[in-house]
Amino acid sequence: MGRTLPSITQAYYQELESFSRFRRALRRSDQLVLDDLLTSAQKHLAAAAFAAHAAPFEIFLLAMLLEEHKEVMRLRELLYGEKFASSGQVNADD
Amino acid sequence: MIEKFGWLLDVYEDVRNGVAVWFLEQGGRRCRLHQPFPVTFYASGSESHLHRLTDYLASQPVPLRLSQAEKRDVFTNQVLPFLAVEVLSPSQQPALFRQVCRRFPALTYGDADLPISLRYAAATGAFPLAYCRIVIDGSQRIFQIEPLESCWALNPSHPPLRVISLEPDADPGHTQPRFLVVRAGTRIFHLPLPGRHGSERPFLINLRALLQHYDPDLLLTTWGDTWLMPLLLEWSAILPLPLNRDDYSDVIRRKERIYFSYGQTVFRGQQVHLFGRWHIDRCNAMLWDDYDLHGVLEVARVTALPVQVAARVSPGTGISSIQMLTALRQGVIVPWQKQQAEHLRPAEDLFAADQGGLVYQPLVGLHHDVAEIDFVSMYPAIMVNFNISPETIQPPDLRLPPVPGLTFPVDQERRGLVPEALAPVLQKRIMLKTKLAAMRSSDPRRKSYHRRATALKWLLVTCFGYLGYKNARFGRIEAHQAVTAYGREALVRAKETAEEMGFEVLHLYVDGMWVRKAGCATREAFSDLLQEINQRTGLPISLDGIYRWVAFLPSRMDDRRPVASRYFGVFQDDSIKVRGIEARRRDTPPFIAETQKELLELLAASPDPFAALPRALQRLRQRLDELSSRRVAVERLVVGQKLTRSVEAYRSPSPAARAAHQLQQAGKIVRPGQRIRFLFTYGEPGVYAWDLPDPLDISLIDIRRYRTLLLRAASVVLQPFGCDEAYLLKWQNGGASEIALPGKLLERYLRIRPGAASGAGFLNG
Repeated sequence: MGRTLPSITQAYYQELESFSRFRRALRRSDQLVLDDLLTSAQKHLAAAAFAAHAAPFEIFLLAMLLEEHKEVMRLRELLYGEKFASSGQVNADD
Repeated sequence: MIEKFGWLLDVYEDVRNGVAVWFLEQGGRRCRLHQPFPVTFYASGSESHLHRLTDYLASQPVPLRLSQAEKRDVFTNQVLPFLAVEVLSPSQQPALFRQVCRRFPALTYGDADLPISLRYAAATGAFPLAYCRIVIDGSQRIFQIEPLESCWALNPSHPPLRVISLEPDADPGHTQPRFLVVRAGTRIFHLPLPGRHGSERPFLINLRALLQHYDPDLLLTTWGDTWLMPLLLEWSAILPLPLNRDDYSDVIRRKERIYFSYGQTVFRGQQVHLFGRWHIDRCNAMLWDDYDLHGVLEVARVTALPVQVAARVSPGTGISSIQMLTALRQGVIVPWQKQQAEHLRPAEDLFAADQGGLVYQPLVGLHHDVAEIDFVSMYPAIMVNFNISPETIQPPDLRLPPVPGLTFPVDQERRGLVPEALAPVLQKRIMLKTKLAAMRSSDPRRKSYHRRATALKWLLVTCFGYLGYKNARFGRIEAHQAVTAYGREALVRAKETAEEMGFEVLHLYVDGMWVRKAGCATREAFSDLLQEINQRTGLPISLDGIYRWVAFLPSRMDDRRPVASRYFGVFQDDSIKVRGIEARRRDTPPFIAETQKELLELLAASPDPFAALPRALQRLRQRLDELSSRRVAVERLVVGQKLTRSVEAYRSPSPAARAAHQLQQAGKIVRPGQRIRFLFTYGEPGVYAWDLPDPLDISLIDIRRYRTLLLRAASVVLQPFGCDEAYLLKWQNGGASEIALPGKLLERYLRIRPGAASGAGFLNG
């Protein structure tokens, strides 16, 4: 309402829309993975709005990466224990 | 000369001359006084245009005086020369101005279309309901009027108003009422309304006798604007009724309106205004459920709008009036049509500026011992504290600190008009709220304080919107953007402060924050946090309450996605807060809303909500059975949805549109913005409009659909405890005995409350 630019949520859905042909051509199993990945960016829409970036998709990518890395850290922690959760602390000998 | 004391009830243009002033004397006498009251509007522009205007005005039959005047322009902060046109009779000014602006569109006008009550309040200080001292002569002409109290007083004196309430015994939109219930003081009268072929005279004779006997100051009606008053005015031809107190003015009708505001189509019924007494229709009054009469009178006091107007206008008009009043008192010209463009700014500024408040995605699920912290009237406080007003916004300047995240600064040297107008409203609301917090629950003043604080809240809330509204006289988009920018900065600072102090931030929503920390469950445990946030942001912040537990819900479409404004929780004082769920939506059938509330209350009543789950499911079963065996009263199944456009404009008609179509076919008039009440039925068209003349065959009610709606509503409140919609669908078919727990619930439960599993007996069942 009364906005010149789309809100961050609208921008997010516009970006999704722009990938619809790409998504359509993917295998069903990959479509589900892609959906999951894109949904993870939604958790950081408020931060993306605050960033006020001219190309919000860069921020969405960063948000997806952030969620991916969170998952990596969680899995590392499960495997090696809490102090090895951060990257660079696990080497082949562990 | 006679000196009198009493209350100002109303001021309006006297058709004969000056203004008519209704005054309620201390002794109880109501009198119509009059006062000469010339009004002035201003014009500026090229000399030749002004000369032509002067010639034109001289040829007009309206008595007036012309002079040169200097007035301050708020946007440029310069004192500019104007041609002052003083019209001696205020009732002639609006028509004259309409002619002038049509003939001389190139001129700029100011103070041109102000309500007379605002001019009167600015000139004399006397506002509606003010206790005043007046000096009059034998012809009832006022020579002096002096208010003896301020409109910002917390405990204003109360005029002893006489109120008559008129209410039909049934909703006239639904069925033909049989009686008019008249309440006058402690007495109640049931006046039989004339039937289809009966005579109106007996009814009119009775009503006239009551009006004459009680001579009310206020006619408080239900469906008065849209049904009763038009009917009474029509019947006045048979027997004149003393609806007006003023013999010189006729009742006025204002047409119904449909407009679009904040994403909603709004329908406002026609209005009937009286002279010498007030008419307020509860059904057509603005925010009556929130305000009540206390709120309406408070709005009239602080905005100086007449009571009948204050009851019906939006809070936006109210705040606009306070701003105009402030301008009039400061000698600032009130622009007729604003001519103000945005400053030139870099394009990237738009990315940062064109945003609202920050809305986070909460951490979905159930959380214990959570504090909800809110900035107090955040946007108004920002406007007042950071001096945000259309004229204080400066073009980008590297020497001055800009608004956070934006490029332009705000002038802090001169006090802005908007903060000046707003500060007393904000202060009064905070004082009312402070007093309320300290009041005993049995204190008889509580209701009045609460209603008045709510009325002021609405004025404050809309003030921010008006700052960005293109037609607002004191609006400017950059000022609007500056407010949200300060708001976002404050919220992020609050988040940073909380995290630095070891709190976990569960959710952030524009001006509120939900936080928790192990071991923090008392108000004192959060006081350092509040103080620190207050220090770092410069804005007042308060603890709304501590939830024993609160559940943030995911999206209905995708349960991986959190939704910002769908949550419910129970505070430590056992009060329940719900947002965005069926119980709070106005379109939910009462039966479903009440059942959802009931389930929540059951969960809230137990120290451990999980332990209350079997009882909640049992209650749900009971309600489902009532539904299936048709033991629910039909009116509790009525859905009320708004019609967003005209019936013909729907391409695939919504249930509300289909019901509206039925009403149209039955000869009833429906308008966009109206709430259409209907029931879901079997077969085509799937709905039955509640206000159709023929009663519905109740065997047609689509029970399956209501069961689905009920289960969905129940699943919303039971879902955080593991019983989602899929589970409830299975459960409803499986019988009440086996409450097997979904695996997810057990896992979540053990994670949240380690060691609690053994305490919940039903887990083993």
